Amino acid sequence: MPTTPTVHFEAASTLAVVVSSNEPLLFLSEDLKVIAASASFCRAFEIDPATVPGRRLSELGNGEWAMPKLASLLKATASGSAHIEAYQIDLMRPNQKTRHLVVNARTLDDGDIDHVRLLLAVADVTDARAEARLKDDLIRDKAILLQEVQHRVANSLQIIASVLMQSARRVQSAEARGHLHDAHHRVMSIAALQRQLSTSAGGNVELRAYLTQLCQSLGASMIAAPDRLSIQVTVDDSAVEADVSVSLGLIVTELVINALKHAFPDERMGRIAIDYRSSGNDWTLTVTDNGIGMPTGTDAPKAGLGTGIVEALSRNLQAEIRLSDAAPGAAVTITHVEGAELSADLSTAA
Amino acid sequence: MKNGKAVVLVVEDSAIIRMSAVDLVRSAGYEGLEAQDADEAIRILESRSDIDLVFTDVQMPGTMDGIKLSHYIRDRWPPVKLLVASGNAILEESSLPGGSRFFSKPYDDHAITDAMARLLAGGTSDGSAG
Repeated sequence: MPTTPTVHFEAASTLAVVVSSNEPLLFLSEDLKVIAASASFCRAFEIDPATVPGRRLSELGNGEWAMPKLASLLKATASGSAHIEAYQIDLMRPNQKTRHLVVNARTLDDGDIDHVRLLLAVADVTDARAEARLKDDLIRDKAILLQEVQHRVANSLQIIASVLMQSARRVQSAEARGHLHDAHHRVMSIAALQRQLSTSAGGNVELRAYLTQLCQSLGASMIAAPDRLSIQVTVDDSAVEADVSVSLGLIVTELVINALKHAFPDERMGRIAIDYRSSGNDWTLTVTDNGIGMPTGTDAPKAGLGTGIVEALSRNLQAEIRLSDAAPGAAVTITHVEGAELSADLSTAA
Repeated sequence: MKNGKAVVLVVEDSAIIRMSAVDLVRSAGYEGLEAQDADEAIRILESRSDIDLVFTDVQMPGTMDGIKLSHYIRDRWPPVKLLVASGNAILEESSLPGGSRFFSKPYDDHAITDAMARLLAGGTSDGSAG
């Protein structure tokens, strides 16, 4: 059985462990001859296992393992003066791509101090590194793409907003102008949400920041005398899904537009308060004004588009709408109670 | 100033936004000029000396974006007021020349005309723009 020219014989169990190692492994003598190579090593680096035993490390394959730096490090390891830990080398073979290797070497500690032998573990990290780089590239691409999309959305909303406002400046009819302004407010409401989403990390929207920004935007475009009319926003720390926040934002938009239009005639002073609070999955949104109150009965105006929007969105959120007298003024309360029966119907015009 | 009206140059590559912005400028009582990119804006600024304010987009094709353009204008024509709008919600305010105003898109028309009036009023002590 001993066909190798070495005078020292290794324990069969040691050789078996080396050969069956899952990690590419070389078992070397002190003068860097290969005693055994793992099957995984031969497979990974395309070396015929039959040619391995007794050959010098520098003679393996087509001589691609003849790397002076590796040889000197292995010799230093054998003499006990150095350790190779995660040493990086490039394996270059003709007509093949360079492979990036991480090698670890240590002396075998089997109690036989007269015979120094080395274990050299070789990990090919080429694919793992390429994969990591690809992943980094993908993450960066995604961030760039997302920014590009947000930018495009903002620009598209700007086109819509611009056209609506330009039309509003052109039309003669005050009623038509009012409708165009309302449409513009609705677009800006969606835009405020878009802005909030683009600055938030996850898909959730922090309601306080969103509704505050929304009401600032509504106030800036609808309130000509800020010392006469004000909008106050009180929201707890709730963060909700983007879909839900769109609905809440549009509801607030409609109710605030409605209050600003109807609650404070004749230069009346006033305040609109938006309040949102949640407890578990239940929440309540209240929009209160201290204006003239909502007309009822035959004085009540016909329900408009705003009312339809508030009703439809509330129904969608499985929430109930309640109108009440805030004395002075009016309050609209929209409540979602998990599993409750619904009657989303706003009988007075909003 | 031209015939007592402040002159505002709108720089925007999107034709519809540019058209509406010029319309907004004119409806606010100013003289409105338009350019579709920074290079055209610079040519217009070189060709006339009555421009009081430049209202520019940030992301535009051409040799300069709106931020570079604002710095270029501040260096070459220091009295010209600057108003910048971008589709990016967050823009480093510090990346713009001092004294310029920034708005994210979509901007509110009233906020823009309001900012224009303030910038133009800040031009000289008597409240009219230089």
